[in-house]
Amino acid sequence: MAKGPRQLLLEHADERDLTKLSEYEAVGGYESLRKALDMEPGAIVEELLASNIRGRGGAGFPMGRKASFLPKPDQATKPIYLTVNADESEPGTFKDREIMFRVPHALIEGAVITCYAIGAETAFIYLRGEYYTEFEIMRAALEEAQKAGYVGAAVAGSGASVTIVIHRGAGAYICGEETALLESLEGKRGQPRSKPPFPAISGVYASPTLINNVETVATVPDIIELGGAEYAKLGVENSAGTRVFSLSGNVVRGGNYELELGTPLRSLIYDIGGGIPDGRELKAVIPGGSSVPVLAANEVDAPLDFDSMANLGTFLGSGAVIVIDDRACMVQLGLRVAQFYMHESCGKCTPCREGTRWMVQILKKLEEGRAEQGELDLLLNVCDRILGNCLCPLGDAAAMPVASYVAKFRDEYQRHIEEGGCPFGAESSLAGVMAPVDQHHAHMRSQIEVPVHEFA
Amino acid sequence: MSTPELVTVTVDDREIRIPKGTGLIETALACGVEIPVFCYEPRLGAPVGACRMCLCEVEGMPKLQAACTMTAQDALVLRTAQTSEKAAEGQRAILEFILLNHPLDCPDCDKGGECPLQDLTFRWGPGNTRMHFPKRTFDKPIPISPVISLDRERCILCYRCTRFSEGVAEDMQLVARNRGAQSIIATFEDEPYRAHFSGNVTELCPVGALLPATYRFRARPWEIDNVPTVCGLCPVGCNVWATTREGKVARILSRNHPEVDDGWLCDKGRFTFDHLRADDRIKQPLKRVRRRGFDPVAWEEAAEEAARGLGEAEGSVVVAFSGGETNEQAGALARLARQGLGSNAAIVPDDLDPAVDGFRAPLAAIRDAEVCVVLGDEPVVDRAPVVDLWLRAARRAGADVITIHPAGSIGVSPGSAAHVARSLAEPGTAPPEFRELADQLRDTQRVALVWSGDDHDRGRRAAALAAALGLGEGSGLYVLPRTPNGRGVSSAWRAAGEGRGEEPPEDGEIGALIVSGDEAGYDPRVARLSERARFVLTTAMFMGDHTLWSHLVLPGTSYLERDGTVVNLEGRAQRQRRAVDPPFPDELEFFAEVGERLGLPVSPRPDEPSPALQAELPPRSRPGALSEPAPPPSPNGTGPGLELVTYRSLFSGPGVERVEPLAFQRPRAELELSFADADDRGISTGDAVLVVGADGVGRELTARVNRRLRAGVVRVADEHADGFARHVEVGKV
Repeated sequence: MAKGPRQLLLEHADERDLTKLSEYEAVGGYESLRKALDMEPGAIVEELLASNIRGRGGAGFPMGRKASFLPKPDQATKPIYLTVNADESEPGTFKDREIMFRVPHALIEGAVITCYAIGAETAFIYLRGEYYTEFEIMRAALEEAQKAGYVGAAVAGSGASVTIVIHRGAGAYICGEETALLESLEGKRGQPRSKPPFPAISGVYASPTLINNVETVATVPDIIELGGAEYAKLGVENSAGTRVFSLSGNVVRGGNYELELGTPLRSLIYDIGGGIPDGRELKAVIPGGSSVPVLAANEVDAPLDFDSMANLGTFLGSGAVIVIDDRACMVQLGLRVAQFYMHESCGKCTPCREGTRWMVQILKKLEEGRAEQGELDLLLNVCDRILGNCLCPLGDAAAMPVASYVAKFRDEYQRHIEEGGCPFGAESSLAGVMAPVDQHHAHMRSQIEVPVHEFA
Repeated sequence: MSTPELVTVTVDDREIRIPKGTGLIETALACGVEIPVFCYEPRLGAPVGACRMCLCEVEGMPKLQAACTMTAQDALVLRTAQTSEKAAEGQRAILEFILLNHPLDCPDCDKGGECPLQDLTFRWGPGNTRMHFPKRTFDKPIPISPVISLDRERCILCYRCTRFSEGVAEDMQLVARNRGAQSIIATFEDEPYRAHFSGNVTELCPVGALLPATYRFRARPWEIDNVPTVCGLCPVGCNVWATTREGKVARILSRNHPEVDDGWLCDKGRFTFDHLRADDRIKQPLKRVRRRGFDPVAWEEAAEEAARGLGEAEGSVVVAFSGGETNEQAGALARLARQGLGSNAAIVPDDLDPAVDGFRAPLAAIRDAEVCVVLGDEPVVDRAPVVDLWLRAARRAGADVITIHPAGSIGVSPGSAAHVARSLAEPGTAPPEFRELADQLRDTQRVALVWSGDDHDRGRRAAALAAALGLGEGSGLYVLPRTPNGRGVSSAWRAAGEGRGEEPPEDGEIGALIVSGDEAGYDPRVARLSERARFVLTTAMFMGDHTLWSHLVLPGTSYLERDGTVVNLEGRAQRQRRAVDPPFPDELEFFAEVGERLGLPVSPRPDEPSPALQAELPPRSRPGALSEPAPPPSPNGTGPGLELVTYRSLFSGPGVERVEPLAFQRPRAELELSFADADDRGISTGDAVLVVGADGVGRELTARVNRRLRAGVVRVADEHADGFARHVEVGKV
């Protein structure tokens, strides 16, 4: 079956301004909520289980199963919360932004339905701090929904009551990690918690908490509308439904595209994205955001679904497809990615805090052509020593992609050593986006003012 | 408590049956396997799994797991680095990362030789480094307070210090700042770390990042002796190590007694030792030769003089105790006075009714209590600091902690503790809040009752309340003495004669007054007695107002210079060991000399205490018939203006005053006032206010608004309340 564009989430968003409640209602908006309120909460969770929808944030955990880990409302000793992860910060990923920009009510409707299903009366939307316009849109939509009685006490005339709180983050990638998000939401330093206990048992304010990505929650109304079984027919086995892919990099028509899962990567890049500009050659593709291992040009016939990506040793991740052409230096790419994770490491656990900085130091030396042969092996060993040893996935997110760049483009790394410099030089398409390491350090140092105490 | 369910866990092929939920670090230890840790410290609350040093393989889990974050479950199979190459490689990786930016300046680091990082590196670490880049540097050392310096380069970010500050002392002053590789430990807003328990972070730190500034470059581990003793500065009796080098005390460390102190120590206990070498310390006997002058005399002559002065008193002798003496010192003095000199009068600072021992319990029982009630005007943290930590631990564990004083959760007027106790014991006619509380306490199995004040006859009142509430096993009564060994001293006094003896005569001349120690000299009653005494014999470490009216002054010793036993607030006898020799014969030796001259044998040395001494809290005494306490005194009369309540700050007294690095901890010249009173007068925190007593004495203090303080009450530390009357007028300057 040919997979391709199939719009559920972004349906009608091109024709109408769905940020307005009246427009959203005109295309059937909040009908799913009414339908859900007529169902038993448990039946909604059953529909989510039947839909086989997997989390759209990156890890791909089945949403229905996650919800089923929560205690039943009558057995819970503390309030149950829903937390929507809108801290979208993975490089290359901008789909949640699109959803909040264009169909904010789908997120609100999904959140209200999910709250009703799990017995929660409060939902927090943890919104990336830099997304200010999105915040304004979400706030306006929430106000409209409240006025219309879709949010608040007695939702849509039912006995259910749902409050939605939009909480803006303060600019840390780590707060997209679910437990760090909860810490930040509670007003603490954004650092991951040790699991167990899992959020379903002890999440925000030590209460049972369901955490889902924006796209996952915004898809809930579609699942209720179609029915779980019908939704499960979309996509391919183990990868049900549609996803919004963020296409970027060296491609003619970058942007967000909602596709059925299982659509071939080649079709996204070439048919939908218009291929590589300037007559250049495809070199590599990052299929799921900067944290996943890279695919070589000869691997783009694979379908975009969870299993196919896993077979290639990578992940569908956050659905951010970054296209890289033959002008890009893979050492520079490694350095840029490592710099990002060094900058965003929270500093809690040792391997990530120390390892990412070491990776940057080695990669910089490699890029400058000062590295010795042994240091390439050292880089791989450092990646290996980070991998699987950290408190949260951030360390892996630095180690995995960099190790994959070396594995798939070893020649290029080798040439940096042998030629004593970067073979691409200033010609590399990435040259302009490098974060100057020394400047970065100088900047960080300037942030630390050493107190001089006078103890008179 | 029900018996815990036992589960079978396998650690490195060794099976063990262990209570379900035991931490895997402890489980492995029980199997004889050590798992190295840095961040793990069970006393700091839930494990955080930050350092990753304890990575182990758990059967059925694909990734290595931080063993510190896991607990014993049935059929769990754990493989540590001893038997799993994967775990060993994980551990090597972590240690390499930890050392990556560590300066490895062990040769000139004060932690060197007693450093967990150094020890674990020797045992598990690499022999070389693959790090050829410039290491991360920071300015150092940073004095985060006058007593603690911070070296951020050595820091391995285990977050033990911030967790202590946040989750044990709850002072919230230490924080982590920045993120990733640039993370640093800092004080909130870069203010000095001014808190009662700050020094504990220097012991928690597993590297040389947080060090006591007073110990920097003072000693190396191979040239020190650690003497196990018991702190003699407050009635908790925390177990400590006194580190000595070349006969001088160089530092004091906690020595965990899980029932008494849980390994915590307050800053007074930790940093008060330099006064032993203060310039103004009295080092030889002084005899008054002029109206206000002293001449040093030989010990022989001093003993002669003392025997003469005491002998000529013809039985009219009063002993004023400090409450800081050892049991043996107090016993010798008491026998000398009661058996040798025929006197029966003394000032005993903490003469608690023995009935309190009917409800004794270890301090650790506070943590397990369901309800804690704190009565009395003196802040617990200033009187018996570690008790405050136990109360905080109880609150974190879910207990109701109800404080009843002018700044308490139930606000009452100053001096009302006795009334409140009666209301709770006989709730029939009490105000509703006390009736409800009394009901709650009667329905609660585990109650901790803490009395922190100097209310008259408080021992008997507290015991009566405990009896009325029916405090049984699991509950405890803790009447906090004012002085470190007040309980031991009063027992020693009672044991030397018939019961508590007599109060000092109200008027008329007395033959001799023995002032035992500096603290006794500060007691205003003692000052009044001295004016009527023909002969005043004082033992003191330092000259002060109180020594000026003495005829003979003898050098006194500190607890660090004594051998003997002391009794803490629980009623637990503990042994103090001499850490350093005093530069002269101690009090006991001197009184033996005097006793010999008076024909009364007094042993110059304490007996060897029984070996069981420190292990056990004696069982509860059988509650005897409890005589009815006197009716509570009427609360302080009302007067014009605001009612003044004063308290003794922890950081006061002759010792602390001579420890220069602790000067920043001394109580500020501050007046606490309630929000309502501040609002009425247009005063905010930081304003200068003029405080005028009824007698017209005025003094300028800085205002601090305390929202918990009851309206109509103001609070000032003792040393800033000199000359104030019970009621004061307060106005903005």
